[in-house]
Amino acid sequence: MKTFAGFALTALVLSALAFMLGSYQTDVYRKLLLWVTLALSYNFLFGIAGQVAFSHFTFYGIGAYAMVILLFQVGLPLPLAILAGIGLCVLLALVVAIPATRLEGFYLALATLAFAQLFIVVLNEGGAVTGAAGGLANYRLPDVFGMRVTGPWYTVVIVLLLLGTQASLWRLDRSWFGRACRAVRDDPQAAQAMGINVTATRIAAYTITSAMAGVAGMVYAFVDNTVNPPIFGLENSFLLLFMVIVGGSGRHAGAIVGAILLYLLPFVLSPLIGHHHALVFGLFMVAVVLFQPKGLIGIWDGWMAKRRTVP
Amino acid sequence: MTAAQNLSGHPDAVGECIQGGRGGELLVVKGLCKQFGGLQAVADLDLDVRVGEILGVIGPNGAGKSTTFNMIAGALAPSAGTLTFDGEVLAGLPAHAMAARGIMRTFQHNKPFVSMSVRENVMVGMHRRIQGPLWRVWAGSSATQRAERAATQRADALVEFVGLGAWRDADVATLSFGQGRLLEIARALAAEPRLMLFDEPAAGLTPAECERLSDIIRQIAGQGIAVLLIEHDMRFLMALADRIAVLNFGRKIAQGTPAEIRADDAVVQAYLGDLGAMADA
Repeated sequence: MKTFAGFALTALVLSALAFMLGSYQTDVYRKLLLWVTLALSYNFLFGIAGQVAFSHFTFYGIGAYAMVILLFQVGLPLPLAILAGIGLCVLLALVVAIPATRLEGFYLALATLAFAQLFIVVLNEGGAVTGAAGGLANYRLPDVFGMRVTGPWYTVVIVLLLLGTQASLWRLDRSWFGRACRAVRDDPQAAQAMGINVTATRIAAYTITSAMAGVAGMVYAFVDNTVNPPIFGLENSFLLLFMVIVGGSGRHAGAIVGAILLYLLPFVLSPLIGHHHALVFGLFMVAVVLFQPKGLIGIWDGWMAKRRTVP
Repeated sequence: MTAAQNLSGHPDAVGECIQGGRGGELLVVKGLCKQFGGLQAVADLDLDVRVGEILGVIGPNGAGKSTTFNMIAGALAPSAGTLTFDGEVLAGLPAHAMAARGIMRTFQHNKPFVSMSVRENVMVGMHRRIQGPLWRVWAGSSATQRAERAATQRADALVEFVGLGAWRDADVATLSFGQGRLLEIARALAAEPRLMLFDEPAAGLTPAECERLSDIIRQIAGQGIAVLLIEHDMRFLMALADRIAVLNFGRKIAQGTPAEIRADDAVVQAYLGDLGAMADA
């Protein structure tokens, strides 16, 4: 009950914020919320299940493209397009996961990297279906029950997406499934001896989190009202990885902190030092990885531990 | 929290976790073989483990003890032969399938889940007991929450049983090697095993820890769980096992009570040699 009240309050505050922002700020705010959503699900995959996969942002792209193609090229009604989009993400995640999760560490990273590149190639070569290099544009969200959902109201949709993702990941993490994922990450052999089907657990973690990224992508499709290949390039996959590492991998709060910080940092830095912000950004990440391997949330944990032991 | 403390203080707390009664053969191994390339690691091995008994397996290095152990635990597939567990023929099943049938193991080199507390480690052992459809987890049903609470209490009772009660919230990194071994045992017991496999449980323990370990293993067998122990430490095994099988070069060269093994010429010649150690044991 207390958690529910907390969620309701957060939803209210985040939604209220949406009604106070100008159009440029709204755009930044929406993308920030989406980055946090993606970082949360990627944290489960990378931080908790221990899978070094570079396909998370690709599923974001698959969700976005699927939404646009299913709605405007296939002509499905919105609810069906959502269901079909989720189905497609699950199916593709399984196709990647079933061979790839048997691979560990480095090889999983390579396989998912190849998948991410393949996606970009397919987008560029997709002709009229994907709009090739130019992507797809000039569409808008169909009316929901005869109403146009735009402006701050669409931001509320993104807030609900974020909180829904966080709530379901939180429940997964606090259950036998979360324990199984951590056990498989810590020691696959011991996990198997405890009766955990290691392969099935890896596939489930990959598929669930990838589908969550897909759903976030479906929501993103109506943020810029255009989808094109450069948006879903590898650069953003790496940014996602850095968000989770800088924040503190394996920790929900860490993913949130990391995503907020790394998304907003360029906005703060570029007026100050122009194009050099990328350099500062890089140095900052190297410093965190070298000196604070548990991420920024690790600093917080250190303070808390000290406060508990001092008195 | 208070409920957990009450339960852990309850004498039957572990009895509730561990079921079974004394009886006949639980595991029957027949003609088990394992070849690694040209090397015959285990040849035509027969073993049986009965409910509530402690069967010890000894042998010099390279005798095939660990290979045998790993085949029973499902970590290795046998080249030939059968494993019959409670009437079901199992061979070549993966480790998680063996665990699902109630065959649990400890590791010689402790393998804790390092990111978890002692309690959470033990709860991983209950995976098969509390796992269910994922939508129930998402729905946050009261059944799921009850199962989670019950699992927490059972974990606390088991942690108490092996004597790690004071460490249940501790990081496993803070445990000593001996405590880590006890955690291995609690974690395996959490699965409510019918057969417990111990891989050199006394290795690396102090004499006092060995004493405590013997006591725990006796209690486990007393609960009606079959115990199969692979061990180097003669003294430890002689005092603990009901029966002992001796392996050498992948074959069983003797089997019997500790007294019979002590008197067996073939064993003395082929393996023990050191009669002083025998007399001590």
